[in-house]
Amino acid sequence: MSKVLVAMSGGVDSSVTLLKIIEMGHQPIGITMKLWEYKTVGGNSLQDNNCCAIESINNAKLVCERLGVPHYTIDFTEDFKEKVVENFVSEYTAGRTPNPCVRCNSYVKWDTFIKQADKLGAEYIATGHYAIINNNKGVYSIKKGKDKIKDQAYVLWGIPKETLSRTILPLGELTKKEVRDIAREHQLETADTPESMEICFVADNNYSRFIKDYTNQNQNKEGTTLDENNNVIGENPGYINYTIGQRKGIGVTNPEPLYVKKINAKENTITVSKKGGLLSNSCNISNINWLVESPSFPLKVNCQIRYNGNVAKANIDNNNNAITAIFETPQLAITPGQSIVFFDDKETLLGGGVIEVYD
Amino acid sequence: MNNFEYIYFDIASTTPIHTSVLEKMHEINKNYFGNSSSVHQVGQRAHNFIEKSRKNMASILGCLESEIIFTSGGTESNNIALRGALNKNDHFITSTYEHPSILNVAKSLEKKGIEATYIKPNKDGLIEVEKIKNAIRKNTKLVSIMFLNNELGTINPVEEIARLCTEKSILFHTDAVQFIGKENVNLNDSNIDMLSLGAHKFYGPKGIGALYIKKGIDLNPIIFGGGQESGHRPGTESTSLIAGMSEALKVAIKNLSSNKKHINQLEHLFISELDKTNVSYTLNGKSRMNGFLNITFHGIDGQALLMNLDMNGIGVSFGSACSSGSTKASNALLEIGLDQKSAKETIRISIGNFITEKNIFSIVQSINEIITNQLTTKQYV
Repeated sequence: MSKVLVAMSGGVDSSVTLLKIIEMGHQPIGITMKLWEYKTVGGNSLQDNNCCAIESINNAKLVCERLGVPHYTIDFTEDFKEKVVENFVSEYTAGRTPNPCVRCNSYVKWDTFIKQADKLGAEYIATGHYAIINNNKGVYSIKKGKDKIKDQAYVLWGIPKETLSRTILPLGELTKKEVRDIAREHQLETADTPESMEICFVADNNYSRFIKDYTNQNQNKEGTTLDENNNVIGENPGYINYTIGQRKGIGVTNPEPLYVKKINAKENTITVSKKGGLLSNSCNISNINWLVESPSFPLKVNCQIRYNGNVAKANIDNNNNAITAIFETPQLAITPGQSIVFFDDKETLLGGGVIEVYD
Repeated sequence: MNNFEYIYFDIASTTPIHTSVLEKMHEINKNYFGNSSSVHQVGQRAHNFIEKSRKNMASILGCLESEIIFTSGGTESNNIALRGALNKNDHFITSTYEHPSILNVAKSLEKKGIEATYIKPNKDGLIEVEKIKNAIRKNTKLVSIMFLNNELGTINPVEEIARLCTEKSILFHTDAVQFIGKENVNLNDSNIDMLSLGAHKFYGPKGIGALYIKKGIDLNPIIFGGGQESGHRPGTESTSLIAGMSEALKVAIKNLSSNKKHINQLEHLFISELDKTNVSYTLNGKSRMNGFLNITFHGIDGQALLMNLDMNGIGVSFGSACSSGSTKASNALLEIGLDQKSAKETIRISIGNFITEKNIFSIVQSINEIITNQLTTKQYV
């Protein structure tokens, strides 16, 4: 029996995680990480699927009480702001599309949280991510979860490798439906909580509004829309409102639909093209993190370049520590700032990094 | 609560209700449900319980019955005092380490055209009279300084400040929520104009408190309704809560010297036991009320210490709690000059009347074990 710190958001996944930890015979401690104060930066604080909202924290407490587990709420808002929100804002402001969940996992959950485990004498941490921790004779790795729709291996590429042996992900072998069924069967208060939102700290899901409120600056300054030959073809409400591959709201009439191909924050321009113009077969990769021992290059991998996206075969190369991915077939809308994640043929997560423009 | 014996070292947050108080309240709830404003006998009986309680409290506090109004607790008393006394263009002096029911009222009053000056406590956790003196202006209407700081347990020179205020014809209010029931007060001999108290800090029920308002002081009402409590706090009085508070105060004062002696001995035992260990600590604050121990354990995360103690069945306090149950480093500690790191290494242990020597041995042993483990465990970096 080991002490396990269970991250309790107050949703159904973490509640069932707690249940599974008890079933494994461990001694859990429920912890809700308070990451954000919604009223700080606007948004609708009444949405009931916000974790960190008081209702969610109360739900976590109720589930813990029902299962006879101690529960504490710990304020991680400073860490979260510094490591996740600041980056989110600066990336969007630079015309890129960040993955805040990845940074939260890498820098808050598998860093601050594991330090908390040490302080409470806990050997392991457990979360409700849909992914599998594989232990092959003491060599630990992450694999995609059984539920292919819910699979969250994509957001775990950045966690420190040495923490895998201290991590338990009990939901990896379950589907979301099975998780809800278990919660209902045990009459957990959280059995029917709605799915969490896309970006947990942007309560109304309006990220450009959030950035405007957060920075106290209006980023929505009229921008210019260019075609692929840099000809001005229209105006737009500002680059901040766009991500690569976006079709909606471009505001230029064209017989064939147009998509955002490039964002230039400095000049406040977006470049649009037809769908074919978004295809590209390579990208550079920064902030790389490997979850396997010393990979050799060129490395044949299956790449995922967006959450819930398909995998595509690629070769990862390393030229004097400049890492690039060359795809076998061109990919649509490879978006700087997003994560690129590598799997082997057995769905083992090898590592990942952040997409950069290929030069 | 779990079925093991839990040791509660957090009476500064709240106290358990004394048995005789529980009995009294139960009797009243059962037999005297009347509305004290009703003319008939049922109402009269309730009314008489309330007035007997007021008489009892007035005699203990050394004031007139008409000078006590019953409120829902310390927060409401503080609101009635501050918002009732201050008008636009008035100047108000308070301290930076008051309870939020003073600080947040002050902030809201500032938005309504009232000027406020916030005095910092010194490094010992005390408000200096001289600093108040220097802050007084022509339009200073009210000074409010807490009697006993809830986080540090330090006792302010409230009488001296009150005297200064009287000399300058300025009203003086004190939030005495932590003080009442732990020491005698005699408002008759005092320059204090208004004093807030709450029953649940002296083994009485929650949801009831009082505000002493010296005869002749006119406050603007902040709640409107029927004329109860001289119009200061309209709303049907809770007979059982009022009688419970009165009983609690009676018991507290009756046993005051034996309780003080008991707690004093336990505090000495705690310190001498702690000194036998290798734990490195600093006791914060001077001129403290016995039984209030605000301690920095060097190099130890106070919040984790609280959680570890809780899992061992021992309850202490860390920082200031918020509604979600999460905590932040205590404001009072930063105000007396501790840095963020030290503030986060600090917990508050408050010793109640019911604590035994055995409980003291348990908490010291537990603190020692947790800290030794934490310092010897290899930390993930």
